[in-house]
Amino acid sequence: MRYAGKKMITMLLTLFAVTLFVFLAFHLISGDPATSMLGTDATPERIAALRQELGLNDPVLVQYGRWAKGFLTGDMGTSYSYRLPVGEMVLDKLPVTVTLTIMAFILIVIISVPMGIYTARHAGGWVDRAIYMVNQVIMAFPPFFAGILITLVFGRIFRLFTPGGYVSYEKSFAGFVSYLFFPALAIALPKAAMAVKLLRSSLISESKLDYVRTAYSRGNATRDVLYKHVLKNALIPLITFLGMALADMIAGSLIIEQVFGIPGLGRILLSAISNRDYPVVMAVIVCIAVLVLLVNMAVDIIYGLVDPRITVE
Amino acid sequence: MKRKGLKGLPMVFVLTTLAIALSGCSGDKKEETSSQITIGIPQDIEESLDPHKAVGAGTEEILFNLFEGLVKPESDGSLIPAVASAYEESEGGRVYTFTLREGVKFHDGSAVTAEDVKYSIDKCADTSNGGPLVEAYSNIESFEIKDASTVVMTLKEADTEFLAYMTTAIIPTANENPDTNPIGTGPYKFVSRSPQENFVVERFEDYWGEPAGIRDVTFRICSNTDSLVMDLEGGSIDMFARVTATQAAELSDRFEILEGTMNLVQAMYLNHEAEIFQDVRVRKALCYAIDPEEIMMMVSDGKGTEIGSSMFPAFGKYYMEELNDTYNQDIEKAKRLLEEAGYANGLSFTITVPSNYQQHIDTAQVLVEQFKAIGVDAKIQLIEWDSWLSDVYQNRDYEATVVGVDASSLTGSSLLRRFTSTAGNNFVNYSNADYDAAFEEGISSTDDARKTKYYKECERILAEDAVNVYIQDLPEFVALNKKYTGYEFYPLYVQDIAKLRLAQ
Repeated sequence: MRYAGKKMITMLLTLFAVTLFVFLAFHLISGDPATSMLGTDATPERIAALRQELGLNDPVLVQYGRWAKGFLTGDMGTSYSYRLPVGEMVLDKLPVTVTLTIMAFILIVIISVPMGIYTARHAGGWVDRAIYMVNQVIMAFPPFFAGILITLVFGRIFRLFTPGGYVSYEKSFAGFVSYLFFPALAIALPKAAMAVKLLRSSLISESKLDYVRTAYSRGNATRDVLYKHVLKNALIPLITFLGMALADMIAGSLIIEQVFGIPGLGRILLSAISNRDYPVVMAVIVCIAVLVLLVNMAVDIIYGLVDPRITVE
Repeated sequence: MKRKGLKGLPMVFVLTTLAIALSGCSGDKKEETSSQITIGIPQDIEESLDPHKAVGAGTEEILFNLFEGLVKPESDGSLIPAVASAYEESEGGRVYTFTLREGVKFHDGSAVTAEDVKYSIDKCADTSNGGPLVEAYSNIESFEIKDASTVVMTLKEADTEFLAYMTTAIIPTANENPDTNPIGTGPYKFVSRSPQENFVVERFEDYWGEPAGIRDVTFRICSNTDSLVMDLEGGSIDMFARVTATQAAELSDRFEILEGTMNLVQAMYLNHEAEIFQDVRVRKALCYAIDPEEIMMMVSDGKGTEIGSSMFPAFGKYYMEELNDTYNQDIEKAKRLLEEAGYANGLSFTITVPSNYQQHIDTAQVLVEQFKAIGVDAKIQLIEWDSWLSDVYQNRDYEATVVGVDASSLTGSSLLRRFTSTAGNNFVNYSNADYDAAFEEGISSTDDARKTKYYKECERILAEDAVNVYIQDLPEFVALNKKYTGYEFYPLYVQDIAKLRLAQ
């Protein structure tokens, strides 16, 4: 309980810092929502009138206070550009980004865990060496490049999916998930390559420790030693890495969404920034920040489950 | 047992994901038999759907299919009656009488009344928010309902071009959410919109005129224009209105490439408040330094139409082809002019270009190279469209900028008014009493020949005074899947989807 309370306070403080920082940063760049809304035909008088109406003439901190008050009472405002309620817009797009991230995460786990174990067990063999080489190359791929490559290979040459043919989850969930498969793969590949390497070295160094020799001397079979003792200990660094990777992927999916034409949070955020649509920018940033904080909290809890010596107190 | 469970779980994931992936893929390749089309658009409609408030060119070209004014433009540039069935001009262009068409319905099923028409016009003429939505409407003295099917508009000053402004959308008085729920009288009605995903419309079955050829139309946002060829070939979109010359060449023969013009004045606009551009010799030197042909070769495979003043060919009678030869590339002359102006050792300035317009960026790059030949060192500064709007267009804080200026309506004044010294949108800060006088004569003339004469005078001043470095009217390539036909170009920035139909 004490842990939860402490975490909540840190979370709120982080959110406060993040939102205030974003709000201030936004006021430093040129361009303003009123000119954006009125376009090229606007007269200075009309811009002035609209600025007054939107409250853009107030001091920045007053504007921030107004936003924070609205947010805390559950009112995220109305998008300047779409004129839609911001909460509705974000909730509509949140499942897209979250599904994409979860799929990528699952892919990382199912690729890296078996491969990591295999390469560790057969360290030095030709399969291990081949995987090592491929891993080195894939690790160097930025996700957007992996995305372009995947589009080319699976979309154009093998025609396994239609590039740009995103299907909304409201229309067909199966179509939605199948379209997200390749983007998820693009995000997962570089991270999975790192995870394989990490798990392999972690397993090898763990297996050289004394308790392993003791386990063997008790007469345990290699499989039992590996899965019951070594793997458990070797997973700790992997979990740390996956936690970081997950947080990174939530923010990083912005880029992949652009490459594959997926209308998720990232696309909304980019367009909102270029339209100076503050309410939407703030809502998406809060959304991403909360997700990242939740992931961090989950990682802390999982540590405890895997290794009872680690406590969250 | 436990071990087995753990090992089996990932396999289940792999298999289900793969199964879903493959089943989904086969579904996409189905041939469409019902009449529907998916049209790619480069950016979302990121603003109000109220036709009076919408300002983006990309929004207006789509809302064209949903809304109509008392009159509406045709593809040949003429105005045809729409919500009004007839109109009459009297007192030399001071009084306009419109007869409303019978049986015109809004998308919600209600009939269009004279009150709706008056409401729509009054809304655009309203000055309580710092100025009318349609600037020209400040000239309206009164807009009265004469009887249930007749409205009379009286202007403060006669203007024979005023009919062109009556394309303002007629909307119902009873719409509570015009920002998000557009209701008009056009051939298509709004179905749904999903931010950054799509904008869906369907044929309006009670349309008064010829019904649209295709029933369901989805505008899909393709913000990643690098993958357009893939999107088209893969079948996720059937049409894209502005592909580049390179993309057009890459497309297979399943697509028809239609070629038109963008109908805008692409130029390097110069800020006349900037010290270096106050000297006409410097401006002329820049005009002599450039070769529009070479720009077209580099930017769009040699396609495009050279222009020499603020007027493009679609305007017909106002367009003056002869002005293209005001300055033909002459490096020596350009150098001499710079020398006379006191810049024998060269000069430098910055060209600000909005980063979302590749064709303007490309043009600026060629310009920089061409200026080098006369010892002018120009630097390109890319800025976001929004910053361009506030810094360059509103605050006029720049030296030179490469953009295309389009016409909001098919009137000479829509392109020429901005160069009068008092115009609010005179973002080049041009001020010339002769020009102001010529424009005043032109706009107030009720006689067409006289009007044309003065507008041409304006164009000549713009060219001879080297107000801007005029370049071209950009080419426009429309990629359309051969399953469809009937696309028509307009001299305005619109996409008329209602004319598309399935090819037989």
